[in-house]
Amino acid sequence: MKLGVFVSDYKLTVDTLDRLKAEKLGIILVSNGVYHASIKENGKASSLLDKSANFYALKEDLETRGINPSGIDSRVKAVSYGDVVDLVMNDYEKLAWL
Amino acid sequence: MSDVKIAFLVQRLPYKSENPKLAATHAMSYQTVEILLEDGQTITPALCYVGEGVLNCLKDQKAMETYGITSTEMHLKNCLLVDMDVYACKEDLDKYGIGEDKVIDAEDMGADKKLQIVPFAKIQELMETSNHVMFF
Repeated sequence: MKLGVFVSDYKLTVDTLDRLKAEKLGIILVSNGVYHASIKENGKASSLLDKSANFYALKEDLETRGINPSGIDSRVKAVSYGDVVDLVMNDYEKLAWL
Repeated sequence: MSDVKIAFLVQRLPYKSENPKLAATHAMSYQTVEILLEDGQTITPALCYVGEGVLNCLKDQKAMETYGITSTEMHLKNCLLVDMDVYACKEDLDKYGIGEDKVIDAEDMGADKKLQIVPFAKIQELMETSNHVMFF
């Protein structure tokens, strides 16, 4: 299964993401989820980024929060709304929103 | 003659919920509510950002450009412009690696006040000396 997961919170209160298995996993950081791409808590990047997945962060949500998309973690690609639509339509068969 | 001190504590991240922004607008409302008070009565608000709430204090928020809404940054600047005390917890800023250079200021709008980065002990003291404490 090619699975795209939208993560919209910084502190996840569910462990669903750890349980999901996919042959191709894409994690799309939106809303407050974009902090995973930029904030280093006590100097350490978010453990979410240690997962084996393709990471994307919505540029508009980064900029809204005062985060420069060019300064985010190198594992994460900053994408526009249009890019997210392309990911949804072309790259992932199933989508989940956490 | 009495002064009512109100501490507004913001502990949530900006934007996903309206809640943290409401702290700033509620605090700002002290300006208008004063017309309803008796002579000599005053209200002194203090806006404090703690925990994840300090991420509200990042500068260069582009909410107007991206979503057409007034940014939390603009609300905070307006608070500083009317000489409100705005505090951010130093320990939490340090935890997220946010230096003073990344924090909102309203110098461009001509504000004399600056956002004050203070240890949590100072915020605790504010809570203790305030008549009311409101959490957002």
